[in-house]
Amino acid sequence: MSSRTAPMRLNLGRFVVFATLAFAVCFYGIPLLWLFIAGTRSEASLLTDPPFALGTWEAFSRTWTNLTTYNNFQILTWAGNSLIYSVGGVLLSLIASIPGGYALAQSEFPGRKLILTLTLIAMITPSTAVVLPIFLELNLLGLSNTYAGLILASGFFPFGVYLTYVYFSTSLPKGVMDSARVDGANRFQLFTRIALPLARPIIALVAFFSFLAIWSNYFLAFVLLSDDKLYNLPVGLTALVSGSGALSNLPSNDVPIKKPEVVLAAILVVLPVLLIFMAAQRFVRSGMLSGAEKG
Amino acid sequence: MASDVRAATSDRARKEKQKARRDTRMSYLLLAPYLLLLMMFGLFPIAYAFGLSFFDTIEMVFWGVTNYQFVFDDFRVPASVVNVLAFVAIWVTITMIGVAALSLMLDSINRKTANTLRTIYFLPGAVTSSAIVVLWLFVLDPSVSPFQPVLHSLGWGTRADVISGIGLAGVFAVMAYFSASGGWIVVFGGALSSLPTEVMEAARIDGANRFQLATRIKLPMIWRSLVLMGILSFAGGLQLFVEPQLMGLAGPQFAQNDWSLNQMAFQYAFRMGDFGASAALSSLLVGSSIVIALVIVFATKFYKID
Repeated sequence: MSSRTAPMRLNLGRFVVFATLAFAVCFYGIPLLWLFIAGTRSEASLLTDPPFALGTWEAFSRTWTNLTTYNNFQILTWAGNSLIYSVGGVLLSLIASIPGGYALAQSEFPGRKLILTLTLIAMITPSTAVVLPIFLELNLLGLSNTYAGLILASGFFPFGVYLTYVYFSTSLPKGVMDSARVDGANRFQLFTRIALPLARPIIALVAFFSFLAIWSNYFLAFVLLSDDKLYNLPVGLTALVSGSGALSNLPSNDVPIKKPEVVLAAILVVLPVLLIFMAAQRFVRSGMLSGAEKG
Repeated sequence: MASDVRAATSDRARKEKQKARRDTRMSYLLLAPYLLLLMMFGLFPIAYAFGLSFFDTIEMVFWGVTNYQFVFDDFRVPASVVNVLAFVAIWVTITMIGVAALSLMLDSINRKTANTLRTIYFLPGAVTSSAIVVLWLFVLDPSVSPFQPVLHSLGWGTRADVISGIGLAGVFAVMAYFSASGGWIVVFGGALSSLPTEVMEAARIDGANRFQLATRIKLPMIWRSLVLMGILSFAGGLQLFVEPQLMGLAGPQFAQNDWSLNQMAFQYAFRMGDFGASAALSSLLVGSSIVIALVIVFATKFYKID
């Protein structure tokens, strides 16, 4: 630090840096913090108290009861559906990605290059671009508005195949495979006995990304599902808001879903992902570095 | 003797060939579930929609490019093209500037603080799809917003004031930036920390200050990845649907049912029952995404296959 820069200018620079970073903390942090505090407050408190006034346990439990019992425990049905779609979709994406990515990484066969290229194109193409074509197709097959339709569609996760392909190309020593080959194991045995036990990190990574994509999927679920008993949480949240007019600031009606209930429902959508994020930030880093994720 | 040798080699060649064929079969067996899904949700829907786009789907008769003509003649389509381009322009700009600036700044402060801040920037990534819109409809409503003092100081008393003050394209861009940028900041944090330290040392010895280090050395080194981020955001932004579609949650006066192109495709299928027109517009949208993807795959080396 023997530079000729005057200390004054350096300090100004540091000030700009920290001011910008602090501004960003407000921008990213305040809405999220507000959301979680607002879940504990009553409607009246939201409208009249300062934005970060804490609520009460009583207000929170009343909101919780209003939300969960509304329409015959509808929100719990949606949460259950979200779980079904996520577990089903994640399992399917793993069943497709892990052996598929392994085969692409470890063996040479006709058609391999084409499959890899198609996978990349499918991965870079935003999934929202194909929602309406998928609807038209599932409509033709009679699978729109079913659990199976949404689970099948969300099990298609080319990013998972690519991640697995990169993982096995870089981390599975060819020597191990060759010596196992000599021992007379066939390709399938190689996969189950050698590759799968080594695949634990990549299984977790693919499951993480496909869960994120499926849990928060709104567009596809919205288009495919017309029966409100089949909604997932993100679609249910909007049904709740539009059915109650809770965000419209119009004269109130007697639906028990008001602003606090909507806040709480939004928290239900966000919280699982938030918890997983906090537990697994390093996953995101390693995954996104090996192939940037699309929006 | 010679024939024995020949027989042995041809025997070995046959065995090799058999083995190769067995290997190929096994590879395809392992790939079968994925290929099935790739057909079903990658290739077939796109081909089917493309085919459908040339039919009158109500009478099921072929009528050439009539659907495309219908789409181009719909006065809402050019309007939504303008909307989406405005959104993409704002979103890509703030994403590139915001992510680059914050990433470079975080790289210049001490590691521990930087990691904490990075986590804070990253957490809104958990707020996705409909939850983003619901959260921001609160945040943009001066009667409940945590930014109430700021909104009031700008002279905005109601949510309608705020939205018309910022503009719809700007509102959607802020929503999308809020959720999507933190992940990129984490990615660039990783990329910046893995830049070769010798280069940084050399620059520092040559008298570069932190600002010069960031703008003249680090920025050029991450520039290509920033451009990739811009292209991916551009491609994703063209498909905008959720944000405008859910504005109506704030009340009928806020509804924007034909603001974006994907919404128009949705309207054709669901409001008008015209799958042919929907397929035509969807095909154009998918087509533009695929062109962008092809450019990224074949003209850059970001994603490597061998």
